[in-house]
Amino acid sequence: MRSITLHLKILITVLVTLGIAITAYQIFVLGIPVTEDETDDLWNIDAKVEFVANTKDPVKIQMFVPPLSHDYVSLNESFISNNYGVSVNRVDGNRKVTWSARRATGNQTLYYRLVLTKRYSGDKPKIKGSVFRDSIAIEGPEKIAAEALLEPIRQHSADIETFVTEAIKRVNNLSDDNVKLLLAGDTSTSNKARITELLLSIAHVPVEKLHTIRLTTDQPQTPELWLRSFNGKDWLYFNPDNGEQGLPTDRLTWWIGDENLVSVEGGKKATVNFTLNNSEMNAIRLAKLTDANTDDHFLGYSLYGLPLQTQQTFMIMVMIPIGVLVILILRNLVGLETLGTFTPVLIALAFRETQLGFGIVLFTIITALGLSLRSYLEHLKLQMLPRLSVVLTFVVVLIAAISLFSHKLGLERGLSVALFPMVILTMTIERLSITWEERGSGHAMKVAIGTLFAASLAHLIMSVPELTYFVFTFPAVLLILVGFMLAMGRYRGYRLTELMRFKAFLKDETK
Amino acid sequence: MIGFWKTWKALEAKGIMGINRRNADYVLKYNKRSLYPIVDDKIITKERAIMAGIHVPEMYGIISTEKEIDKLDEIIGGRNDFVIKPAQGAGGDGILVIADRFEDRFRTISGRIISHEEIEHQVSSILTGLYSLGGHRDRALIEYRVTPDQIFKSISYEGVPDIRVIVLMGYPIMAMLRLPTRQSNGKANLHQGAIGVGVDLATGLTLRGTWQNTIISKHPDTTNSVDGVQLPNWDGFMKLAAGCYELCGLGYIGVDMVLDQDKGPLILELNARPGLNIQIANDCGLTHRAHAVEARLEQLALNGEQETVEERVRFVQELFGLK
Repeated sequence: MRSITLHLKILITVLVTLGIAITAYQIFVLGIPVTEDETDDLWNIDAKVEFVANTKDPVKIQMFVPPLSHDYVSLNESFISNNYGVSVNRVDGNRKVTWSARRATGNQTLYYRLVLTKRYSGDKPKIKGSVFRDSIAIEGPEKIAAEALLEPIRQHSADIETFVTEAIKRVNNLSDDNVKLLLAGDTSTSNKARITELLLSIAHVPVEKLHTIRLTTDQPQTPELWLRSFNGKDWLYFNPDNGEQGLPTDRLTWWIGDENLVSVEGGKKATVNFTLNNSEMNAIRLAKLTDANTDDHFLGYSLYGLPLQTQQTFMIMVMIPIGVLVILILRNLVGLETLGTFTPVLIALAFRETQLGFGIVLFTIITALGLSLRSYLEHLKLQMLPRLSVVLTFVVVLIAAISLFSHKLGLERGLSVALFPMVILTMTIERLSITWEERGSGHAMKVAIGTLFAASLAHLIMSVPELTYFVFTFPAVLLILVGFMLAMGRYRGYRLTELMRFKAFLKDETK
Repeated sequence: MIGFWKTWKALEAKGIMGINRRNADYVLKYNKRSLYPIVDDKIITKERAIMAGIHVPEMYGIISTEKEIDKLDEIIGGRNDFVIKPAQGAGGDGILVIADRFEDRFRTISGRIISHEEIEHQVSSILTGLYSLGGHRDRALIEYRVTPDQIFKSISYEGVPDIRVIVLMGYPIMAMLRLPTRQSNGKANLHQGAIGVGVDLATGLTLRGTWQNTIISKHPDTTNSVDGVQLPNWDGFMKLAAGCYELCGLGYIGVDMVLDQDKGPLILELNARPGLNIQIANDCGLTHRAHAVEARLEQLALNGEQETVEERVRFVQELFGLK
């Protein structure tokens, strides 16, 4: 006995540890959200390219599209264009789409649509960049101005980060004569960025120009320019207008470099308009969508890998152990008496279709009528199988009648009764009737109410959406449940109802 | 909540056994599933008992197929009173007690006159499993009708009072006299409304009773005191009960016995999951007694000894008897 107890303890420990470990792995390492309410933003970005095609020349239009680094995952990408050939290629970490057509006339409109979301998990890929660059050659007054500017920057900085910040701040100090000279009256962001790059190149600090789109709705957008520099470990991002460091999280890198967003051959007046809108989507479903586009195949081995139809069945199935647990607690800890062991769980499942209140009413009506039939049959002294068959048929007829009546009365809910498991009802009637005969009507009522109560409670708990989601997403939780059930198998304390039952002892004592 | 906790602690201190403990520590531990048929089927119990030389009501015959119903007359012979029982019945259902003949018909114990056909129908119902647990096919058992000893006349209402003894590994640890009431329809099952009366293991004197989970000292129908009644041949009962361990091999059983006015103590049936109300009847918990027996067993196992039925009865009477 002692060895069995040890065995059991080890088994419980192993199961619970395993369950907790797997669930923790899913939550903390794979980053699967704990509740269904955790939604991710889904961004729908439309880039509308318009230009006027020259009548005779072949048209070739090139546009940068996001390289989709490790921060974002593309769910869907489409190039909408009539009569244009489309090709996408990667150049120096950028992606470029090329639309081409032999002949096109007049105003042309092309669309590029990207649906993306923030990447939801995964490791950071290795990043690399250059830490040295050659100086851009300049001559004359510019050189002197640049060197004059660089001197205080060097003094005020300690590393690349502060150096770049300081440089940007200096360039943005428009009252400085040296800056005025270098900008030559053009105070646009791109020009400032150019001058900053120039200054930094003299100090051999490489910077890259980064063109970003802001993930925000309802405002027209043009790509926003940022600078970034590699400090040997990470990319550091800077706002060329004020030297602010760090790329806000809502920026999406569209392309890197000095080139223009769009270039047209055989056309003119190319413009690009961005339209963004966002929608929310359940994080898991999203992850499932992105699954094909990512390397994380963890979901392939989860229940989410099943076809959708099957998933729905499993969502119900994984909740059955929870229902069983409710019955276990009610019976062994509380001491509630129910008909059969798992009958309440099955009734609870039936309640899914009928809704709780209506389900209880239907259950009560059918069981009551079935019981009266059963007690009538009792007088006829029938054998068990024929008697059960008669009751079952009666239950079917009753269900059909209820469906028909409720349909005529316009109560569509009544139709759901058809899904009430007839065999379960029949067995319930039979068992209840036997209990009635053997232990009296009072006890039968007690048991029937106990069963209904247990079924209702099981139903309520089984239909908590958060719980369903949790168990479905982290099925390892079931191992913890099994651990608890095993422990319950050795529970030898009193049941709650026994405390009442044996009260007679204590009353006697106090006398 | 605190109230519950207090009750819990108080019950634990008294050694009251709950269903969970009974199941986990005794029924599951000492009762091998494969041996259940011995107690579930009254015919097997009876055969085993006869082999072991334990007294049971005499079996007149068994009917196991529809065809054999024709043999009913042959089995009954010239007897005026007999009992027909389902071998695997539960809760006393399906039992037909014939007390006498009346012309060509029979008279039941309650005075109803029934025909031969009705008896045959009853047997047929038994065979189809109408009364058996789970509705399996069953056998009908025709046996001797027990006439309760006169001693019970004043404290029982109809039916046959029986004596339930809980036996742990051959050691009787608690006993109770079960008295039918008007409410229990002459049946001796406590949950059907019969009275349970505790019995002192050493002397066979009755103690106070329990009825519907409350403590009583008078029979509700006859209003006679149920306590202080000396059960005759008590040591016979104790030995009979203790011997049932060897008979069935189950370590934790409830032995139901009757006292026939002619044949003395007889085994009626065995129960592998005896109820817990016996504790209320005896105003005493089972746990401490069970632990005492288990300690004794351990000690004996250490010395490599085994005790005979007489030694076991003496042991429990000395330990659990009320002085």
